[in-house]
Amino acid sequence: MQKLRFLVLTLASFVLVSARADEFKFPLKSNSVRFAAIGDMGTGEAGQYETAQRMFIVHRTFPFEFVIMLGDNIYGGSSPKDFAKKFEIPYKPLLDAGVKFYASLGNHDNPNERLYKPFNMSDSNYYTFKKGNVRFFVLDSNYMDAKQLAWLEKQLKDAGNNDWKICYFHHPLYSSGKTHGSSIELRGLIEPIFVKYGVDAVFSGHDHVYERVKPEKGIYYFLEGSSGQLRPGDLARSSITEQGNDSDRTFMLIEISGDEMYFQTLSRTGSQIDSGVLRRPVRTPEPATAGTK
Amino acid sequence: MNTNLAIQHALGAVLFLTSSCFASNSQASQDPPTAGPKQEESAEAKELEAKTAAGFKEFQERVDAYVKLHKSVAGSLPNIKPTTEPEKITDHQRELAQRIREARPHARRGEIFTENAKDAFRRVITAEFQGPHGRKARTTIRQGEPLKKVHLQVNESYPDGVPFTTLPPSLLLKFPKLPEQVAYRIVVHDLVLIDVEANLVVDRIPEIIPNNF
Repeated sequence: MQKLRFLVLTLASFVLVSARADEFKFPLKSNSVRFAAIGDMGTGEAGQYETAQRMFIVHRTFPFEFVIMLGDNIYGGSSPKDFAKKFEIPYKPLLDAGVKFYASLGNHDNPNERLYKPFNMSDSNYYTFKKGNVRFFVLDSNYMDAKQLAWLEKQLKDAGNNDWKICYFHHPLYSSGKTHGSSIELRGLIEPIFVKYGVDAVFSGHDHVYERVKPEKGIYYFLEGSSGQLRPGDLARSSITEQGNDSDRTFMLIEISGDEMYFQTLSRTGSQIDSGVLRRPVRTPEPATAGTK
Repeated sequence: MNTNLAIQHALGAVLFLTSSCFASNSQASQDPPTAGPKQEESAEAKELEAKTAAGFKEFQERVDAYVKLHKSVAGSLPNIKPTTEPEKITDHQRELAQRIREARPHARRGEIFTENAKDAFRRVITAEFQGPHGRKARTTIRQGEPLKKVHLQVNESYPDGVPFTTLPPSLLLKFPKLPEQVAYRIVVHDLVLIDVEANLVVDRIPEIIPNNF
C-alpha cells in the first residue's frame, strides 16, 4: 500500500506538476475547499502589508474562505498595539470580507494567542478542524510533549481515510533554509505518525523562504516562511528542493477538490513563484459507519 | 548416510551439553562471592535511577502544589474566554501574574526545582546530551533561536517579544509530564519552569543546559 502511495505521488509530482505560470488556473469548482497559507508574517512592516494587500487583490478572483497561519504571527511583543499593527490592520480587508484565520504558534508567539478569537485556536495550542473533505491538524512544534503526541496519534487515527489530512505547524521537517534547516529531531518523532495514518500534506514556516519539497515518504511538504519576513539568498537548494524562492515575500493559495490539490504560490508583487496540481493517493474507503463526524 | 549424520548430530549435541555443563560449573566455582564490576555498575545505575525517580517525584509534588495555588488565584479572577480584544488577554495575563506574585512573595530559586530535583534533571540532561541523540538535541537548540543575553529571576515575567528556544523533544519526553498551567523553557543555559497563562517564571535551574550547541 505504501509502495503504491509512493508511486502515485512520484508520478503525480512528475506528470501533474507541469503548469506554466501563465497557464495556471484554479478550477474554482463548487464545494471545493479554498484557502491561503502564510508564515512568519507578523512583522508589522511594509513587506507584510504589501503581501497582505496582494492577498486581498487575489481574493477577488480566487475567493478563498480561510487562511492557515504557520506561526510567528506576532513578532516582538503581544500588546494590543502589536495585534493591531501586525494582524488586524494588514488583514482588515480580508477580515471584513469574512475570511477566517486559523493560527499555529511559532517560537515568536506568546502562547496566550490561543485566546485571541480571530486566530480560531479553540483556546488550545494544538487543535483540529474540518472544511469540506479536508481535515486540518494544527500542532505546536515549540513544545512536542508526550501529551500532544498522543493527541495527534488519536486524532489522525479517528479521522479515518476518507478525508484529506493536512498538518501544519511552525518548524519544518524538511527545509533547505540556511538559517534553520530541517527539524531532524522533530521529524524523527512525528513523521512516522504521519506516514502511519496517511497524512497527505504538511505546511510549515520558520525559515524565511518558500520551498516545495519533493514528496517524502509519500507526503507533500511545503515551507512558507516569507509572508512578512524574508531572508534573501537563504535558500540553499538541495536534493530535496522541488521549487523554491528567497528573493521576495510570498503566500500560497490552495484549492482542494476531490482528490486533487491545486496550488499556486505568488509573490508580494503578484508574480507566480510556483504552481501545480497534486493528487491524493488512492486509499481504501472507510465503511459508511466509520470516520469522523 | 542419514544414519551416520544422525549419530554425528547426536554426539555433537551430547558433547555441547556436557561442555556447557562443565563450563557452567567451572564458572560457578570461580565466581567470587562478591559482585563483579558489571553487577556493581548495574547496582550503581539502579541507585541513580532510583534517585532520579525520587527527585522527579519531589519535583512533581512541588509542581502540583504550585498549580493548586495557580488555580486558586485564577479562580479569584474573572474567567477569560477567547476574545476579539487583545487588551483583555494582556490584562488577564498581567493581573494573574501580579496576584501569583502576591500569593508567593518570598518565592525563590530552588523551591520547585529542589536540590534532589535539580540533580535528577542534571542527570537526565547530561545523559541525553552525551548519548546517541545528543547531536540532534544540540541541533534542535541551535536551530531554535538560542537566546544569548536574557537573565530571568523567579517571579519575573518572561520578557515580551523574546522568542522561545525550541526545547528538544527527546529531552521533553524524558522530563516529568507537566500540567497545562506550566511548561519548561530553555533560556540561554537555564532550564526554566514557566506559568504559561501568567507568563511568569516559577523557578529555574541555572547553567544546566550544555553550552556546546
